[in-house]
Amino acid sequence: MVDFGGFAMPVWYEGIQAEHKAVREACGIFDTSHMGRTWAEGPDTERFLNYLVTNDVSKLEPFGGLYTVMCKPTGGIVDDLILYKFTDERYLVVYNASNRDKDFKWMKNNSKDFQVKLTDVSDKVAMIAVQGPKAEATLQKITEGDLGGIGRFNIGELKVSGEKCLAARTGYTGEDGFEVFVLDCPVEKPEKAMKVWNDLVGGGAVPCGLGARDSLRLEAGLWLYGNDIDESINPLEAGLRWTVKFKKQGYFVGQRALQKIRDEGVSRTLVGVMLEERGIPRHGYEVLDMEGKEIGIVTSGGLSPTLGVGIAMAYVPLGFSEVGTELQMRIRKNLVKGKVVKHRPFYDETVYGWKRDKK
Amino acid sequence: MTDEYNVLDGLYYTKEHEWAKKLGDGLVAVGVDDYAQKQLHEIVYVELPSVGTEVAQREAIGAVESVKAVSDMYSPVGGKVVEVNEALLDSPELINDDPYGEGWIAKIEAVSLDADLGKLLDAKAYREFLASL
Repeated sequence: MVDFGGFAMPVWYEGIQAEHKAVREACGIFDTSHMGRTWAEGPDTERFLNYLVTNDVSKLEPFGGLYTVMCKPTGGIVDDLILYKFTDERYLVVYNASNRDKDFKWMKNNSKDFQVKLTDVSDKVAMIAVQGPKAEATLQKITEGDLGGIGRFNIGELKVSGEKCLAARTGYTGEDGFEVFVLDCPVEKPEKAMKVWNDLVGGGAVPCGLGARDSLRLEAGLWLYGNDIDESINPLEAGLRWTVKFKKQGYFVGQRALQKIRDEGVSRTLVGVMLEERGIPRHGYEVLDMEGKEIGIVTSGGLSPTLGVGIAMAYVPLGFSEVGTELQMRIRKNLVKGKVVKHRPFYDETVYGWKRDKK
Repeated sequence: MTDEYNVLDGLYYTKEHEWAKKLGDGLVAVGVDDYAQKQLHEIVYVELPSVGTEVAQREAIGAVESVKAVSDMYSPVGGKVVEVNEALLDSPELINDDPYGEGWIAKIEAVSLDADLGKLLDAKAYREFLASL
């Protein structure tokens, strides 16, 4: 067990590599009840959320989900999050565990001019991610309601293990799968969530810890708040330009700063690097050009269990961001060669991930 | 607590969880111990020193890595690296399977063997140390 943002969490149950493989090839489950969840309700909810985040909330249909970031007035990222719309006046906001207190305060402080009620239900709703090519089949066995009717990034209301749940077709692994919200399941009375968890395990799902969660999201090229993005980084340099909708209706927090950054251009950008020699990149390692000059820093790295090589995300100057650019990394005393690669995801999407060719 | 970890008699240990084994003629095999491999869990990468490298006692000679963590390996004795276990490059899990045998990391020609070993813990002292963790 390790401390993760104040939560005691297992790094692995049986082993990171086996858990990782289970998600890429079959079905793994993660207890993500530590994440932040807040209901936003009231007549101004859509207008408030559109002011709070960079993406265009008005485009959402009922039972649709939207990945976005919210920024400081400086353009720095407060957090990345997912919004689920139920009605114009009712949204579920899901955000990072490590930012629970900060985000709720940030939302509250920014909501003063809107008729919106924010209710933090992080400790009242349990959350289990069911991920992998067999996730739907595994979850369907214990679900009343058709999971096939829930499209990617959509959410549905149904019963799992006989309990009232929400299931969103989202996740943090690159695979198909669901994030199940077990409603009315407070931390001090976790029986409903335990029932869902045990039923999933009974159906063949493999319990996965934080280790596999990290190696899976890294292979998928997904951002980890605190590593790859934080308040000193703006979405335009983080590869999150697609979540910033400058032309949407109304002003949003950070818009002026982000417009200026867009007009002037960013100086660094987040790239994927694959090592061509033995070694495991880690957070904080130096990135160098082929002449040995330090040019950037690794924000996330590790050994890719799927590819069997070291992979990393790193911030480098724009001149080094083209796919195929040769770079080096300092790993302790050694310089290890690598190349900039397509990294969302790092793996071949025809073989792995939710878009894979169905057999 | 100590029962969880295999500590072999006759070896010398550091508080950073390396071991050293006298092979005769001033030669010493070194590696990381059972405690280290259990803490790291699945070892996926080992960085070996180069043959011929001169190292001081407690100087870093490599690293042992799991998916999640890195553990630097410090030489329990000073001297010259004369052989490294290249099998670990393709099979780092040998350290998990057999930390004191197949999972050895390097052989070192010690410069001042007795003085260096005198600063290490014997099996009994090391068991007591593990019990205190």
